[in-house]
Parts: sequence; structure tokens; C-alpha cells
Amino acid sequence: MSRLWGLYIRLIGIQIRSQLQYRVSFLMELLSTGLLNGTYFLALVLIFERFKSVAGWTLGEVAFLAGLIEMSFASMDMIFSGFDPDSFSTKIRSGTLDQMLLRPLPIALQVLGSRWELRRMGRILEGLVIFGVALNLSPVNWTVGKMIYLPVVFLSQVLAFGALFIMGSTLTFWTVQPVEAVNILTYGGNELMTYPATIYPIWLQRFFTYAVPFIFLNYYPALYFLDKPDLLGLTPLAPFLAPLAAAAMMTIAVLFWRFGVDHYQSTGS
Amino acid sequence: MTEMIRVRELRKTFQVARRSSGLLGTLRSLVTPEFKAVQAVDGVSFSLQEGELVGYLGPNGAGKSTTLKVLTGLLVPTSGEIVVNGQVPWQDRTRYVARIGAVFGQRTSLWWDLPLIDSLELLRPMYRIPDVRFRNNLRDFTDLLEMSSFLHTPVRSLSLGQRMRADLAAALMHEPALLFLDEPTIGLDVVAKERIRQFIQHIHENRRTTVILTTHDLSDVEKLCERVIILDHGRMLYDGGLTALVERFEGSRSLVVTFGEAVADATLPNLPTPRIEGLQAIYPFDGKEVTAVMLIEQVFARFRVADIEIRRPEIEETIRKIYEQKLLI
Repeated sequence: MSRLWGLYIRLIGIQIRSQLQYRVSFLMELLSTGLLNGTYFLALVLIFERFKSVAGWTLGEVAFLAGLIEMSFASMDMIFSGFDPDSFSTKIRSGTLDQMLLRPLPIALQVLGSRWELRRMGRILEGLVIFGVALNLSPVNWTVGKMIYLPVVFLSQVLAFGALFIMGSTLTFWTVQPVEAVNILTYGGNELMTYPATIYPIWLQRFFTYAVPFIFLNYYPALYFLDKPDLLGLTPLAPFLAPLAAAAMMTIAVLFWRFGVDHYQSTGS
Repeated sequence: MTEMIRVRELRKTFQVARRSSGLLGTLRSLVTPEFKAVQAVDGVSFSLQEGELVGYLGPNGAGKSTTLKVLTGLLVPTSGEIVVNGQVPWQDRTRYVARIGAVFGQRTSLWWDLPLIDSLELLRPMYRIPDVRFRNNLRDFTDLLEMSSFLHTPVRSLSLGQRMRADLAAALMHEPALLFLDEPTIGLDVVAKERIRQFIQHIHENRRTTVILTTHDLSDVEKLCERVIILDHGRMLYDGGLTALVERFEGSRSLVVTFGEAVADATLPNLPTPRIEGLQAIYPFDGKEVTAVMLIEQVFARFRVADIEIRRPEIEETIRKIYEQKLLI
């Protein structure tokens, strides 16, 4: 186990070092991804200038949603870079995946270690700034429970998005080209979770409660952190289902991934 | 001797999507895709003993790569019994691949951005290679493959020949009992090819590594392989010694005679009729009923000869004939 962990760290170290070779271009990328994504939040600020609150949520409260999901999505986008369906499908086509199958290491570990997009740090920092703004505008009444639960929610979000990346990559075993519809869930999901769930039509709420349990990953935990009432009337446990939802999504993703690798080995590319 | 590879009735069928032409056809195949079964490998059986070096030959699409992919565990066959090194290749993958080495000519298994030495270093924890053994192998391979000048160069900057040598070294660092080489000399110049061949020969002789190699370059085969397996359209055409294969075709040896003056009739009594090309006559002989000596004596007795030469069939020619005539031997 420690051997695998050590190898994972080494593989990522290679990725990071080669990206840092061109320092100026790296810093520019960091800055531009951070600023580009930051402009979306500025648009949000302008809306609140005019409306003061949306569905009973103040700017500070929405910033809590936006900052947290931005940080976790960008972290996922960095950690799971190798499973980005776009880059994974090229691994299949170029035969890199075959080379991985020839190594005595778990494939998933090699895929994770094959790419680590450090420039996503720009977006993580941007999320952190928004989160800081949120805590300033609507201070959280911190309790021990909340302090423990915040990192749990963050990790759950990272894993849930990661699960979607893995599923999207697994699909390319059949489609060869990445499936655009997966982006609706990943990039779309990130966008969707930026706002309180109550602004969406009922059918969409239901879909993201029962089909893809996004609602438990950001909206409900935020209700707990911000001491807001649950207008949808789900179980009082709902704010604490984030790790469960993430674990369920990751389990399905891993099972699907294994099925996909088996399929790949029986059909070839 | 122990059996290293056992292949019984290996079959691999691919389902290939049939694409219809035209916009309507494209749409139709999107909704109801049609598949065509392609038999890539169709009932191949052979067995390899420990320490053998075998050439696996065949024209494009003969099923060489498919066999190699099955043997390295990349592909699960449709049917057949395959045991390699005491294991079924596609089961317990990580354990299996830790004991084989493979070089697929067109692709590198090394890390593009890393200096070669770091790339090789990474294999040590990956294959759990003991330090002493790693250092010894690194020294030996650096020597044999003359890699010292580019050991610290990033893999992406290596020439094709250097990269191939590096990949060979990488495939052997963990001292696998079995080495798979897919087109190890493809695209290389004569000198580079020769260096690779000598290295393969060396590994095979000194480490008793079992080697199975596919190649299009028949000089590879001539210089390296005692035994060849020839494949075409997924079926085996030949499995046996290289010398035996060539001997079967020795009948087509010929004596080429260049006359010192124009000859009206070059036919010799009781001997096959020659083919005439200007001042040259080409007499085919089989070496048994008609020997080279008999022919030469007769030719000297009758004509003024400027030059003679015995032409042997080339392996290349022999194998081309086997492909063309689909000879099952």
C-alpha cells in the first residue's frame, strides 16, 4: 500500500515538475483561469446589486454556495485530470492505455498519476476568495460540528465530481470520442450547484435529488452551515447526506470503470 | 526443459461496425449498427520452451499483433487455452505483467518528460527490483546498448534508435523470463538495427530469456531466429526451423553463367533448359539429381565463360512465396 502511494506521489511529482519548467507561462495560465472564472462571480454580484436577494438568499449566502463548489470542482479538475474524458479518450486512441495495462500497477492509479493540471490552482484560489467574501458578508455561527463537517463536505464534492469524470471516461471505451452529454453533469452540475436549489423547477430539483444526488452535496449542507430552514421538507438528516451521496456515486463509478476495462480487454481498440 | 508458452486453438473474433455510405446510411448505422465478425486469429496452436527465440511472421493483418496482445494480457481471446509462464495472461494482471517484458515498436513505455535515467529509476519501485540488481542491470544495459551519451536526455528528445534501445532496456530491467517484441527494428537504419539485434541475441544467450518477436524485416529473422511461425489470415502456415524452411526451397538454387561470346544454343543435354538474358544463362538445379559441380563442368566444357555465380533463394523470396501460394507446410 505504501509502495502504491509512494509511486502515485512520484508520478504526480513528474507532472508538476514538467509544468513548472515554463514558469512564466504557468503563472499567466494560473492568473487567467482565476480571473476568467472570477468574472462569472462578478456578474452574480451585479445581479444582487439590483435584487438584493434571490429566493430568500443573500449575496453572502449564495457566495457560500459558489465559493465552496468552485473550490471543490477545481480541486477535482486537478486531482482527476487524468480521468478528464477528453484526455482519457486520447489515451485509448494513442495506445497509452495499453502501456498502462502492461505495468504491474492498478490502472486507475496510473491514470490518476498521468496528469495533474496544476493551473487549476488559479481556479481553486478564485473559489477561496469567493468563499472568504461569503464568510465576511454572512458570517457562519461556527460550532465544532460545523468545523468538522466542512472538510467532509468539500471532500464529498470532490469525490462526487470525480465519480462523474470516471464515468465519463469509462463511456469512451465504447464511444471512443468523449460524450458531450457528460459535460452537462460535470460543468453543468458545477454551475447548477452555485445557486440555491429552490430557484429551479420541481422536475429539475427531483432529478438532482433522486437521479444524481447533487442537492445533498452543496445546497443541503449549506442550509446547515448558514442555519437556514429547509423549504423542500426533506428529512432533517438531509444536510448530512453529502458523504453518503458521494460514496454512492463513487461506488457506481468504480464498478462501471471495472466493467469498462473488462470490455476494453475483450474488444480491443 | 519447461514449457513457457502453451497456445491451444487460439481464436479471436472482432465485431467490426459496418459503415454504410451516404448521409442516410450514416444515420441508419447510428440507429441500428450492423456488425461484421472478423476472425483475426483462427485456431492457432503452438508451444514454446524456456529459452527459445521465435520469430512470429506474417503479412499485415495476419493476426500477429492480436496474438501478441493476447499473450501479453491486453486482450481476452474469444476462445482457446493459453498458459504463459504458468499463468493465464488476462487473469491477475498485475502479477502477470510483473514477470514479462514487452516492447511495442511504435510506442514508448517511458515517461516523455523525464530524463531516461529517471524513467528507468521509476521502474525500480514499480517492479520491486532490488537495488543491487537494478544497478547491475543499468550498468550492463548502458554498456551493451551504448546508452551513456543519452542517459540524461529527456525521452522526448531521443532519436528513434536511441528510444528503441531505451525501451528495450526498460523492458528488461526487472529481468523478465519472457520478452515480447513487436517490430523492434521498425524504422531504424542499418547500424541501429544491427545493434538491437546483437542486444537481443545477447540477452537470449546470456540470460536464457525466452523471446518472441514479430517483424517485417527478414534480416532480423535470418540473424536471430532458429524457429519461425508463419501466419496468414489468422491461420498458421508454418511452424518449424528456419533452416528446414529454406531447405525446402533449395530446389530453386540456380547457376548464372555469363558467356564470353554470344551463344546460339545454351541448352545442355539432360539438364533443365536455361533462361537466357542477353549474354547470361540461368540454369536452375536442385542440388540432388543435378549438382552444381555437374553443371559447372558441362558449362566449362562447351562454352567460353566470362563469369559464373550460384544464386540461392533468399529468405525474403521464400517467405513471399509461402504467403503468395498459401503453402501449408
